[in-house]
Amino acid sequence: MPDGRTDRRPRAKRGGRADGRLRRLYAAIRRIVGMPDYGAYVAHLQACHPGAPVPSEREYFDQYVKARYENGPTRCC
Amino acid sequence: MRRFLWFLIAAVGAAAWGVLALHRGETINAAWLVLAAVGTYLIAYRVYSRFLAYRVFGLTNQRATPAERLNNGRDFMPTTRWVLFGHHFAAIAGAGPLVGPVLAAQFGYLPGIIWIVFGVVLGGAVQDFIILFGSMRRDGRSLGQMAKEEIGELPGLLAMVAILAIMVILLAVLALVVVNALKDSPWGVFTILCTIPIAVLMGFWMKVWRPGRTVEATVVGIVLLMLSLVGGAWVAKSPVLAPLFTHGGLAIAWAIIIYGFAASVLPVWMLLLPRDYLSTFMKIGTIILLAIGLLVVLPPIHMPAFTRFVDGTGPVFAGKLFPFVFITIACGAISGFHALVSSGTTPKLIRQEEDARLIGYGGMLMESFVAVMALAAATALEPGFYFSINAPLATLGGTVESAAEVIRGWGFTVTPQQLHQLAESVGEASLLGRTGGATSLAVGMAHIFSNVMGKGLMAFWYHFAIMFEALFILTTVDAGTRVGRFMFQELGAYLWKPMGRTSWYPSIVIASAAVVGGWGWFLVQGVLDPLGGINSLWPLFGISNQLLAAVALCVGTTMLIKSGKARYAWTTLLPLAWVLIVTLTAGWQKIFAADPRLGFLSHARDTAAKVAAGTVDPDQGARVIFNDRLDAFLAGLFMSIVVLLVVASVREWLAVVQGRRPAVTTEVPAVESAYA
Repeated sequence: MPDGRTDRRPRAKRGGRADGRLRRLYAAIRRIVGMPDYGAYVAHLQACHPGAPVPSEREYFDQYVKARYENGPTRCC
Repeated sequence: MRRFLWFLIAAVGAAAWGVLALHRGETINAAWLVLAAVGTYLIAYRVYSRFLAYRVFGLTNQRATPAERLNNGRDFMPTTRWVLFGHHFAAIAGAGPLVGPVLAAQFGYLPGIIWIVFGVVLGGAVQDFIILFGSMRRDGRSLGQMAKEEIGELPGLLAMVAILAIMVILLAVLALVVVNALKDSPWGVFTILCTIPIAVLMGFWMKVWRPGRTVEATVVGIVLLMLSLVGGAWVAKSPVLAPLFTHGGLAIAWAIIIYGFAASVLPVWMLLLPRDYLSTFMKIGTIILLAIGLLVVLPPIHMPAFTRFVDGTGPVFAGKLFPFVFITIACGAISGFHALVSSGTTPKLIRQEEDARLIGYGGMLMESFVAVMALAAATALEPGFYFSINAPLATLGGTVESAAEVIRGWGFTVTPQQLHQLAESVGEASLLGRTGGATSLAVGMAHIFSNVMGKGLMAFWYHFAIMFEALFILTTVDAGTRVGRFMFQELGAYLWKPMGRTSWYPSIVIASAAVVGGWGWFLVQGVLDPLGGINSLWPLFGISNQLLAAVALCVGTTMLIKSGKARYAWTTLLPLAWVLIVTLTAGWQKIFAADPRLGFLSHARDTAAKVAAGTVDPDQGARVIFNDRLDAFLAGLFMSIVVLLVVASVREWLAVVQGRRPAVTTEVPAVESAYA
């Protein structure tokens, strides 16, 4: 049975799993650089605070930027 | 098998140290620096950080972190540990670990490598780790808040004043590094100037046109950045355009001051945020590239193990090996500034407690490795080239002939032709006296990169390295000014309530102007200084940064003692004692030393005598004397604040240890984690 390790087809053709892996890599890069991730935020709201109002992507971006830059230094020397 | 592997690592590391210590030949390979450093890091991480994590701090994944308990999807958010490691590393690693080791290379490679490696495993990484741990156990409280809670209200306030003052010096010296790299360089100025419209374009892209598409906007930004780098070469060759972008140090300093003010009052999304993304990508990418390049090329180290300048007569900065190598290399070995990040963004993102070991201790080892790479790149240059770039123009004289003559007098061989060819090969008119470390690092990096990817691209790689350094230094200047503004507003509220309203426009403008005015003053002073400014400002920065480390280690020790772990307090007392010895000695020498090259006050007296004798212009003399006294005052202020904080801390420790005060921890109560 072809699984992730023995499957020698190009990554793009493997479908689901590789897709997920790429998406995770993409999300990781965003997190490392400190970029907001709206999708993850909405998922978090639905999982942990069901019924809470969901901000629009623009509102979320503003809240995120505020939280990032008004809480002390984000960069060192 | 595992045990054998660790034995092997220890043996290789020890052998590499042996080679470094005993080798006294022509050249030595950079591989030995890398092996000694990495071997020591691995052993220290495996043994000492484990001891700290489990025995001293008692980390356990059973206990929920603030990210888990207070998860709000924004600043509090559980983050996978390797991702957070990258994030934390990108936040702590800046120009400091790149510049300090380059300057300290004037003593030779051995003092630098010893301090970088042993300083980090016993000092810097411990500091970062304990502050991260303390803040994580206190819902992500900041260093200032923890100082207030642990040591007392007044010491906490003093710590905040010290942090603000240190910030001002830091921003001035970083801006000066950029000015010295960009003066009279149309290529560099054009490229860096382009980053401003590129950032604004990215800002509108991700805020207005395509909200949330941050990665997309950043990719576009990086492509445009590379185009501006290529464009810079063309501008520098054009007889019409080149003069438009050729400016002296003073003009560039003013441009940075005006830019810093604008960036601080404009909305974050328009300039600061996109530049932050650009510079983070560039920083991580370039550091990886440098590591690969260094490992592929493994250049020979041309600088001797020790130079004659250990006696304190060095041209790059004044002062003997002790204490000044420990001041000059701050970041990379121990950096107080990290305590601000370790008690800021990072503790709120840790998913599981035990991850703090990799992020706090491991992250700092990584930064230390960056410092080792910078040291290798600088010492791989011929010493003649190194000193031609890093000695002040006033010492070298204005021409390649005079510079070669002076450098030969120091015992290093270099010809005027070689100096001329070096400048030509990187597309500059002259590299003489470009103090501050950025230029010689860029030349070193360009050497390494062009060795891997073709000799013809030397000038391109040089300007790539300059762009990379200037970009993230200016991002630190923006972000630092903004943070300084908030701190100023917070402190200002003690005197006048309305100053504390952080989004009230008059308060924003007053506070921004005060912070920019503060670092701008020192920047202009540094540019006008005939000795290049780095001479006086970098030691002041090093002293202040190390004193901030002392504050952090005091807070850490207090936390340990109050949570009933006084028997492990030596882990923080050891680096604390060392940092105090070094910085108080250096501070004292900078203020009172009789040598006018070293002591601020004797330099002021010397200048006054020259004015009286008519050899120095009275107006210029008055300015120099005022600035010398200001520098002396600042050094004295930092030292007094730290001594006060240490005394206040020691009283707390004794009270707890002698049982006069109960040992009550300020940690928030433990809650069971769902991840364990």
